[in-house]
Amino acid sequence: MRRENAISAALAVAMLTAVILPGCGSEGDSGVTEIEILQYKPEAAAYFDRVEDEFNESHDDIHLTISSPNDASTIMRTRFIREDYPDIIGIGGDINYSYYVDAGILADVSDYEGISDINPSYVDILESLEIVPTEGTYGVPYAANAAGVLYNREMFEEHGWEIPETWDELIQLCEDIKSEGILPFYFGFRDTWTCLAPWNALAVGLAPSDTCQNVNAGETTFSKEYRETAQKCLELLDYGPDDPFAYGYNDACTAFANGESAMYPIGSYAVPQIKQVNPDMNIDSFVMPGNNDASENTLNSGVDLMFAVTEACEDKDAALEVISFLLEDDNIQAYIDDQNAIPCKAGEFELASELDGMASFIEAGNMTDYQDHYYPSEMAADALIQTFLINGDVDTFLEDFDTRWQRYNRDIIREVQQYNEEHGTAE
Amino acid sequence: MKKANDSKRTYMLITIPILALFVCFNTVPLIRGVIYSFTNFKGFGDYDWVGLRNYMDLFTDPRIGNSYLFTIKLAIVATIVTNVISLVLALGLNSKIRGKTFLRAAYFVPNVLGALVVGYIFQYIFTYILPEIGKMVGNKTLSTSLLSSTSLAWIAIVVVCAWQNIAMNTIIYISGLQTVPEDVYEAGDLDGATGWKKFRYLTFPLIIPFFTINMVLCVKNFLMVFDQIMAMTQGGPAQSTESISYLIYQNGMEGGSFGYQSANAVVFFIVIVAISVAQMSISSKKEEQL
Repeated sequence: MRRENAISAALAVAMLTAVILPGCGSEGDSGVTEIEILQYKPEAAAYFDRVEDEFNESHDDIHLTISSPNDASTIMRTRFIREDYPDIIGIGGDINYSYYVDAGILADVSDYEGISDINPSYVDILESLEIVPTEGTYGVPYAANAAGVLYNREMFEEHGWEIPETWDELIQLCEDIKSEGILPFYFGFRDTWTCLAPWNALAVGLAPSDTCQNVNAGETTFSKEYRETAQKCLELLDYGPDDPFAYGYNDACTAFANGESAMYPIGSYAVPQIKQVNPDMNIDSFVMPGNNDASENTLNSGVDLMFAVTEACEDKDAALEVISFLLEDDNIQAYIDDQNAIPCKAGEFELASELDGMASFIEAGNMTDYQDHYYPSEMAADALIQTFLINGDVDTFLEDFDTRWQRYNRDIIREVQQYNEEHGTAE
Repeated sequence: MKKANDSKRTYMLITIPILALFVCFNTVPLIRGVIYSFTNFKGFGDYDWVGLRNYMDLFTDPRIGNSYLFTIKLAIVATIVTNVISLVLALGLNSKIRGKTFLRAAYFVPNVLGALVVGYIFQYIFTYILPEIGKMVGNKTLSTSLLSSTSLAWIAIVVVCAWQNIAMNTIIYISGLQTVPEDVYEAGDLDGATGWKKFRYLTFPLIIPFFTINMVLCVKNFLMVFDQIMAMTQGGPAQSTESISYLIYQNGMEGGSFGYQSANAVVFFIVIVAISVAQMSISSKKEEQL
């Protein structure tokens, strides 16, 4: 009897330990370094699977695993809560990056020689995302995307429409398209984040690029800077479907692919999705012309994917070797072909034909980061913009935007103002 | 004596691991949640203690207020709709009609389907099929998607929630109706109780325990509505359909205000406990025993 009890007790304890201590992974037996990448673009999973295989075939001393789960940002955060850090994370250049740098999760890679091959404007974009200027470089920009207006090239050629370079030309173009009985724009505003696409594309041209930092420093308000953006964004609604809030991103991509509208204001990242519906579609894009002075317009482009080594990574040299492999020209070309992306590495790469209309801006380096990369995610700015587009009340919206910003950002604002007091406002 | 002790010890050995698991996966996270609710934790990195700031913010945040209003409105309306319809259905399915077994099975199907699947199907119906029908009959409200209107989207959610919950409630009511002994009806017949009177004075008092269960289950389910929102509206349009659980998930996990939404979760937990206790004590007073 006692014996059996002892066995069952031992079993119970064993079961408990098995549950409570989830496998502490074994490392470095046989001298092979394990490197794990967790990246947030599931649509690029096929590409990363291929790179993973190629890397492992050519390297004996490092074993690479790349995971590309759905909803990786949430997975990443859950793992961070458990202090279980991947060696390299692949994320976008947005507020999350700012938070991670601020939290000291990422390692300084400024000594890495590969950084010098990267187009400096993208390195600067990452620098300016830091909440307070932090010494060092914490991410390697990999690919960028651009948001503007996608258009149906065949339709444009057929009707002889020209690409607009100013706001008035854009409105005129919309009127022309409408008069021929074609829908100028399609929107998928049921998915709140798509409201940010036209918003960002207009805001880069109409508001100063450092609006958010200036608001944090207490020097201006959004009511001042965003009024024109808000009005123009609202104006675009007249040229969309009757009930734009009924449709989601997928619906809008499908409708645009089927020729139901001439244009779709969204980022270059939507092209693979549209081509899934209609593989033969001839798509091009142009820069959203927010201003009436064409020279003031700028391409809305930000870092879509960057790699950052975590502070917890045990073998940083091996991690950097993996990043160097990813940065090889062939791999980058394969990625941008696959994802219709813009390379962050300087050099001769062939851009997808869907980016033709934006190429001159890209070559000239006339690019400005997405404003929403500075919006704290808890503020749900996308839902605010959706609310505004439904109500159409500019004043209430701007007021609301200012109040919520102050509320959700107070910890950051305090940090920024403290920093500015200590260091004196730069510039 | 010794034997009794042995079996006691065996019971203890069975209970302790389960208790340990419960404490480990339920009580400890709950306590940690309460602790986080006093911090500005983002979900990663360092955090500071902020005292009661999160709780004070909760009461001044219109987004939280709206989500409580929406959730309570949804829970009340959906509970009434579900219970009325499922009681009527149960009465029908309990009478002597042809194909009863088949019909009972058919009405149970919605409960078997996953809430997300149902949500996506209804989203399609509300976006494309219903507006077409609305245009055909010339009804202006119906010719646009219900889900894109800030004032009507909640009704669409009620419809889907009720549609799916009616299945389970009907089954519970049917089993309740079968516990009512035939001789009660016979006695009632002699006293001239028919139709509504028969239901009001005989049937209903005898199935009150089942009514209680259904009410508690419904209110609890609808207060914690999540999947339908996730699939159909994602809290939109204009944040008009953000249920409390959806807001906690969305703003706490994706939005990175883990500490703040932990405070919300603590408050929500207290609200649900209070409502359930109140419901149980009110309904148990009304139960009739044969």
